[in-house]
Amino acid sequence: MGVFTRALRNISRKKLRTLLVVIALGFSMAIMVSIPSGILANQTSTEQLIGNFDTTITNLEAEINKTLTLVECSISSGFTEQRGPSGGFQPPGGFDPGNMPGLMTRSVTYLNESTITDIVAIEGVKDIVAIIEKTEGTNQTIQTPRGTFQILVPDYTIVGVPLNSSLIDNYAFLPTNIVEGRNLLEGDSMVVLLSLNNTEYFGVGVGGSVDILGASFTVIGIYEPSDSQEATNLYMSLTDAQTITDLSGKLSRLEVYAVDQSHVDVIVNQIEQLYPEFTLTTYETRLAQLERQQEMYATTLENAQATLSQTQTVAYQEIGIAVVATSLIVLFIMLYTVRERTHEIGIFKAIGFSNGNIMSQFMLEGILMSVIAGVVGVAIGVIAAPLLSSLLLPSATRFTSNSPGMNSPGIGTNLLGIPFTSAMTASLNPQLIFLAFGAMVLLGALGSLYPAWRASRTSPMEALKYE
Amino acid sequence: MSEIVLETDKLNKSFKLGGREVHALSNVSLQVKRGEFVSIMGPSGSGKTTLLNMLGCLDRPTQGVVAIDGVDITKVPEKKLFEIRRNKVGFIFQNFNLLPYLNAIENVELPLESIGKSKEERRTRAQELLKTVGLSGREDHRPNRLSAGEQQRVAIARALANNPAIVLADEPTGNLDQKTGLEIVRLLGRLCVDQGTTIVMVTHDSRMASETGRILALSDGKLLVKEKEGHLMTDKATKCSACGRELPDDAEFCPRCGKKL
Repeated sequence: MGVFTRALRNISRKKLRTLLVVIALGFSMAIMVSIPSGILANQTSTEQLIGNFDTTITNLEAEINKTLTLVECSISSGFTEQRGPSGGFQPPGGFDPGNMPGLMTRSVTYLNESTITDIVAIEGVKDIVAIIEKTEGTNQTIQTPRGTFQILVPDYTIVGVPLNSSLIDNYAFLPTNIVEGRNLLEGDSMVVLLSLNNTEYFGVGVGGSVDILGASFTVIGIYEPSDSQEATNLYMSLTDAQTITDLSGKLSRLEVYAVDQSHVDVIVNQIEQLYPEFTLTTYETRLAQLERQQEMYATTLENAQATLSQTQTVAYQEIGIAVVATSLIVLFIMLYTVRERTHEIGIFKAIGFSNGNIMSQFMLEGILMSVIAGVVGVAIGVIAAPLLSSLLLPSATRFTSNSPGMNSPGIGTNLLGIPFTSAMTASLNPQLIFLAFGAMVLLGALGSLYPAWRASRTSPMEALKYE
Repeated sequence: MSEIVLETDKLNKSFKLGGREVHALSNVSLQVKRGEFVSIMGPSGSGKTTLLNMLGCLDRPTQGVVAIDGVDITKVPEKKLFEIRRNKVGFIFQNFNLLPYLNAIENVELPLESIGKSKEERRTRAQELLKTVGLSGREDHRPNRLSAGEQQRVAIARALANNPAIVLADEPTGNLDQKTGLEIVRLLGRLCVDQGTTIVMVTHDSRMASETGRILALSDGKLLVKEKEGHLMTDKATKCSACGRELPDDAEFCPRCGKKL
């Protein structure tokens, strides 16, 4: 019977006590394992967030630079009210129609293609990209405190673009993320580039044929949309789009590119004089919008970092408490054990065991208990790490909902590209388990040190008298 | 090898009790020869156990010398006393003091572990000792499954494990009935004869003491008489007028009640 077997027997002798201690220590261990894994998950998540922000900001900067010479021309669309007996919306019930707002329907106004001739003649205009968009879907009527609106729930949006290779190469008006087939090229006709969403809607793949507004198109490629606005867009040549939508000679907007930035103001003035009904968007307004977005990102980032730092502080405190609790549990249990077994210590000393023998016996028991608790702790940690870390750490999702940027449509999820909460899931890695296990054994040894020393110093005569 | 295995010279032990100095032992000088079976008798509080603790290095004398196998243990540093206990002394206690979570053979093996014997050596020696004390076949029984007499036999085997120079038995029959007690004392006597073991036994039972080779009587911490060698009962002639104990002719006091004759 060696010292190890004796230690094991002593531990198993007091089953209930050992069980309680092991559970308590096991939870400490689980906390020691779960919290760092939670922090790591937070850290990874924040790093991912920072990475995405960096990419977004870089893209925005590129877009700003690209749009420095852009003047976007369109005619404002909006809701117009339809009233009166001739086909106006009549609200149900006995209300006086005169006091009720009428049915608000969306009106879309197109530009005439002939305007291109006038605009291209303006000095300093380098290129013009003419685009037509038409959304097909189902009309739905919704009632709001501000009135009754008829909105269009889109099935798909036809986007007609000029298939001119020089324009395609210089200006990014076609999607870039082609997942199957190819992109549109100069000279393409009666072919269509579908989004992944479109393929689901039409139930067709590359090479297949799709019927759009009565015309048959061949699917030339499929792209993955970069945001929700793009998700329903299908691209084809401008001419094809104008033909099938019965909008020949019409355009949704013109993207007018100046030869350089210094000509933008002159071009804007000239267009305003020629077509005062146009809504013109220049790089200045775009720049202001983009800068606002950058600011929002920066704020979100600061919030993310602040939350991470706060999380880490709380985590360190909790780990500290777990460490102290573990040491104290081992200390008190071993002190109690030594006291309880004083008589036994007397017997050991009487039959010739040295102080060192006695000390190592009790140290081993403390360490062994910690090892068992460590195994239990790892088991608890593996099962409950995500739960424990979410319970014990401040929620890292808070800043995502508090920050203004994150609530803006198209930024919170689409531009960031990651749903932040899913990255919070804490997972244990072997290194962490090994470290926490080592810490648990070390704490067990430290906690047993004083009781074991006390046991070794017990006078044999006094110990033998102890009952 | 010296004939005298245990010797004390003017051994004194005093301690303070309620601000008053109590002399537990006063100038106790004795000698025990190798292979001798000696009993120490005396009423409660006479200092028997205190003396035994001094002899077994469990306690330190205030003054005087205790020598085991020629080594003055009063000069051995506190931290080294365990070596004397480990190599020179075997203990037998009134309440057996077996470890309840170890079986008979594991209890006997314990002292052998302290001197670094291998597992096989420990097992062989322990089996041999259990056979000597008549417990063959009971090796795997834990103390709670052994009778009181059997437990004391295990304790005797454990005391003999390291071949100690001297075995100190503190009231070894105190928790046993008369018959079992006698069996135990006779077993100890046989060990003295057969194996040359030196045993010092503290008892207050004259029947048990009468089985030993020599009786030393303690009263108020003083050793009153050294009786002659040989069995006390062989020369019995008179009885103590106070307690009725049978005494040898030349006895100067009764070892049971301490009455002077």
